[in-house]
Amino acid sequence: MIATLAFYVFAVILLVSASMVVSARNPVHSVLFLILTFFNAAALFLLAGAEFLAMILVIVYVGAVAVLFLFVVMMLDVNFAQLREGFQRYLPVGATIGVVLLVELFMVLGGWKFAPEAASLRFAPVTPGVHNTAQLGRLLYTDYFLLFQASGLVLLVAMIGAIVLTLRDKGDGRRQDISRQLARTAADTLVMVDVATGAGMKDVGILRPKVAEPEPVAAAHDHGHGGHH
Amino acid sequence: MTWTAMNWTLAVPELVLACCGMGILVFGVLSKRETFQLCSMLTIGAFLLTGVLVLPGAYGVGYSGLFTSDAFSAFVKLLVLVAAALCVVVSLDYNEHVNLRRFEFPVLMLFCTVGMMLMASASNLMTMYVGTELMSLAIYVLAAFARDELRSAEAGLKYFVLGALASGLMLYGISLVYGFSGSMAFDKLAEALADPASASPGLVVGIVFIVAGLAFKVSAVPFHMWTPDVYEGAPTSITAFLGTAPKVAPMALLVRAMATPFGQLLVQWQQLIVLVSIASMLLGSLAAIGQRNIKRLMAYSSIGHMGYVLIGLAAGSVDGIRGVLIYLVTYVFMNVGTFACILAMRRRGKMLEGISDLAGLGRTDPAMALAFAVFMFGMAGIPPLSGFWGKYFIFSAAVQQGMWTLAVIGVLTSVVGAYYYINIVKVMYFDAPEEAFDPRPASLSFVAAVGGLFTTFFFVFPAPVVAAAEAAAKVLFR
Amino acid sequence: MLAVGLGHYLTVAALLLVLGIFGIFLNRKNVIVILMSIELILLAVNINLVAFSAVHGDLAGQVLAMFVLTVAAAEAAIGLAIVVIYFRNRGSIQVEDVNLMKG
Repeated sequence: MIATLAFYVFAVILLVSASMVVSARNPVHSVLFLILTFFNAAALFLLAGAEFLAMILVIVYVGAVAVLFLFVVMMLDVNFAQLREGFQRYLPVGATIGVVLLVELFMVLGGWKFAPEAASLRFAPVTPGVHNTAQLGRLLYTDYFLLFQASGLVLLVAMIGAIVLTLRDKGDGRRQDISRQLARTAADTLVMVDVATGAGMKDVGILRPKVAEPEPVAAAHDHGHGGHH
Repeated sequence: MTWTAMNWTLAVPELVLACCGMGILVFGVLSKRETFQLCSMLTIGAFLLTGVLVLPGAYGVGYSGLFTSDAFSAFVKLLVLVAAALCVVVSLDYNEHVNLRRFEFPVLMLFCTVGMMLMASASNLMTMYVGTELMSLAIYVLAAFARDELRSAEAGLKYFVLGALASGLMLYGISLVYGFSGSMAFDKLAEALADPASASPGLVVGIVFIVAGLAFKVSAVPFHMWTPDVYEGAPTSITAFLGTAPKVAPMALLVRAMATPFGQLLVQWQQLIVLVSIASMLLGSLAAIGQRNIKRLMAYSSIGHMGYVLIGLAAGSVDGIRGVLIYLVTYVFMNVGTFACILAMRRRGKMLEGISDLAGLGRTDPAMALAFAVFMFGMAGIPPLSGFWGKYFIFSAAVQQGMWTLAVIGVLTSVVGAYYYINIVKVMYFDAPEEAFDPRPASLSFVAAVGGLFTTFFFVFPAPVVAAAEAAAKVLFR
Repeated sequence: MLAVGLGHYLTVAALLLVLGIFGIFLNRKNVIVILMSIELILLAVNINLVAFSAVHGDLAGQVLAMFVLTVAAAEAAIGLAIVVIYFRNRGSIQVEDVNLMKG
């Protein structure tokens, strides 16, 4: 009974939030609803006894993929005028999603923990007495090893693809070169000058950078160590 | 589960190719200079090595039934490897010229080929899905590879969105088939479906979804809408690749899936394939007529060719499948050769894509015009070129099965299609010549020569190909 | 064996699939929403697979669902990378600009 009720609650929220993903005007809202959809799908997976998949869905999808979506949405087409209208605009939506998630979490933790028939409502696992995760692991690394390797290649291709398409290395980035840093000695960067008592900078041959103009400041910054001009 | 059931040595070609790919990747990343040419050479070497490993033909079922190596898979794998190697050769000069000299290019083609080899050997719906995705993901990236060009990015985006939708639908079909039959292994499915009456509606819907997903990959009507745009927008070396190996592997997978697990349901899927085939042939021949861009023309041409290939599948007999394989062989060589010629269309360093740019090629560059004409006549199906024999085997198989309408429509659309192929020949030989193209690089001449010689002299030595195709087709109908 | 009946799961999955397809074809604003719709479709498939897996008492469906999750993550990464380069070239990710059906 409780399982049926829970199923309907999760399924309805799943479908409503999925339709919000598609129809929301703001892509940020879409991503948030996508996260809600995934949470509810994870709950449905739990109801069907697929515990490991439920956890993976939450960790991989909400943790990685949905956040990736969020990054890209924020990076690209954010309508800034709309965004600046304030945090409050997101607050109702965010709060609603948060409350719904919280209620669900309570239901999962509270309702399921104490329901006496919960264990019997789960579907019969293939091997009784063995945990779902252990069973999946045994299958994955034996019978389905070929596909395990192949999906490794899929991820490798995705990595190469994402790098090759988006990484821009114009060669002007400032990178840390540790060996060069370590190879530097004081003699490379410091000039010891004997200064006669009472002599000004002009007499020694070191000019003070002019403070008034902006350019020499930058120049002085670049050759900050040397002082040999 | 024992190690003998694993039988992993059957997959040695795939494993070797994947390891070579990772080695080339690491080499490319670690070397300081740009190593596009070197990595391409290494990739060609890896393809050749893998081809040598495929040849001895260690046949059997491995990986607990996920992976099958038989005459059919060996045939398809060799064809895919040859096509991919020729496409890497074709890309050598072009990528250098249009500033795409990045070592990831051959590496991605290599991993794409691993995916296609998996597809050729798939004997489980899961292998089929993962192999298809490995192939598709690599192609999405390759289509968008010219990342500073809007056209290429747009091609990649279109291909990605529609391709992902197609794989989603295919996957939905797989889930339905799994649900309504209880298994994803081809042999178990064949047992479960031995009695066609036991096929539930859900199962048939699942098969339709799977066919739709694979039809998208081979760009058959009504899932063809991406083809012209992606062909036009992608870098031309990738267009050449798209038209060859990534058509062969899904077609082979479609053939195996329809013939082995769903072979008893012939009546259920035959009508579907017939409709798709007729629509593809019609669209391929009619829509190509108005095209001015040679890459778009090749897109419609490939849609039409896939329509002809599907006739062989619709026949559903050993002869039909044999025809499919022979047609694919001839198609790959004609297509690679044509694209080698298209890639040589360059005037003062600028790449050209218009059909009118070919005007007078017969006088300015007789050798290239001859090769181009051979490919065009071959695609039109003029005897004795190889294209004719591909169509001959397909149509005769259809007639044997009493599918006269299909054969007649095929012949009629070939005649219509011949119009635009021969129109190109007319432009080359009878129109007023324009300025000559830049000198051809040796790599393109080589590929055009290979394709041209194969297309021209196929009729002299068809026996080995026909025999191999026959042996491969028989495997599916044990 | 299913507490709520297989039909319920299949209905939810089918509705989700339809929503995803709707999202792809009716969306006129934003390419990223299309990518999210693809995720919805894959989620629908996963619900199907898990439900069937439970009914058959067979873990193959769950294993496939796991591979689907892996591939979907890879697909999302590549899709977003392509969207990023499209945005860099075009300066917008409006669907109208892509003219998907020119061909």
